[in-house]
Amino acid sequence: MTFRNTTRSWGFLSKALHWLIVLLILNQWIIAERAHSLPKGPALIQALWWHKSFGITILMLAVIRLAWRLMNPVPDLRAETRPWERVLARVSHVLLYALIFAMPLSGWMMSSARNFPVSWFGWVQLPDLVGADPRLYERLNDLHELLFKVLVAVAALHAAGALKHHFIDRNDVLRRMLPFGRTHD
Amino acid sequence: MTNYLAPLIAALLTGATPLYASSAAVVPAATPAKTTSSTPATAPANAPAAPGGIRYTQAASGNSLEFSFVQADAANQGVFRQFTTELTYDEKNLAASTLKVTVQVGSLDTRDGDRDETLKGADLLDVARYPAAQYQASSFAKRADGQLEAVGKLTLRGVTRELRLPMVLKPTAAGLELSGEATIHRLDYGVGQGDWKATDMVGNDVRLKYRVALSRAR
Repeated sequence: MTFRNTTRSWGFLSKALHWLIVLLILNQWIIAERAHSLPKGPALIQALWWHKSFGITILMLAVIRLAWRLMNPVPDLRAETRPWERVLARVSHVLLYALIFAMPLSGWMMSSARNFPVSWFGWVQLPDLVGADPRLYERLNDLHELLFKVLVAVAALHAAGALKHHFIDRNDVLRRMLPFGRTHD
Repeated sequence: MTNYLAPLIAALLTGATPLYASSAAVVPAATPAKTTSSTPATAPANAPAAPGGIRYTQAASGNSLEFSFVQADAANQGVFRQFTTELTYDEKNLAASTLKVTVQVGSLDTRDGDRDETLKGADLLDVARYPAAQYQASSFAKRADGQLEAVGKLTLRGVTRELRLPMVLKPTAAGLELSGEATIHRLDYGVGQGDWKATDMVGNDVRLKYRVALSRAR
């Protein structure tokens, strides 16, 4: 496995960013569910501290990932891939990239709108993105939840597409993104 | 980062005690040399000479009482909107100068209704049982570094503790401007019962920053 991508397979950094972000998003989901079950108190503040810190981490990784994608070759889809599959793959990839920016940014704005500044793991306090505004907060909260539903739907489509390539088309589209996956060529 | 700087910049622009500057740096400007000479001369001739000095009360506007604390490793801020101040000041007789500040605790505002209600709740400020906090000082003193202080007691959530309150007095057209900052520990006053006794997510230190426009009492 090379560090950079090739036109046949994903390199180390692309794979690492892909799976790290997947794990962090699952972790965000777990923390958010836990936070919903907690009463107001230090434990809730702490759960949100983790959620916000990991969210900002995802945002940072998203910046690196987008930059890396733009300065690297992208492995080709198989020649036999049908046009509608190409369109679907393209649209879902664009959406997923947009969501790993939009989710953390809307969350960060939620905090700002409630006048709760965000700290990244206690190492640095981030500036507020918007002024305190309860109505804006309600809208951002709705948006954050809507974006999450869209993320779940698009990620499911994305995973289904990868599984179809693997089990039905029997090509290496899934394998070439697996951490230790190998391509045939 | 800008959040740390904003209060400092605001304080510098408005001439208040900078948040993180040492008070010693402020003292030379704050030592009210002008007050020394001007106060007796400008005192209203018909005002009854209060024992120990001139009486001042809080003007209708130009007052602020801010508090800040660390929550989830970030600086959180709020204000108390309602409070009253009475000062009796005698430059020549600090020991007879007095200060009384009464704060309506329920007037707090952190720009988040949810948090305000939590802060007013029984486990924190318990506004229902302790609607007012009061600072009362019956003498002033100068520290070795020249900083003027009120020597008094703060009663908050039913707990009374000694508190020396640093003060900067500046003469104004109507009277005096009183400002300063102090840090108190919330748990000293029982602000934080049950789970709220933990200080890792909500810090024990609460920074108070005040500025009061005072008019000579009639």
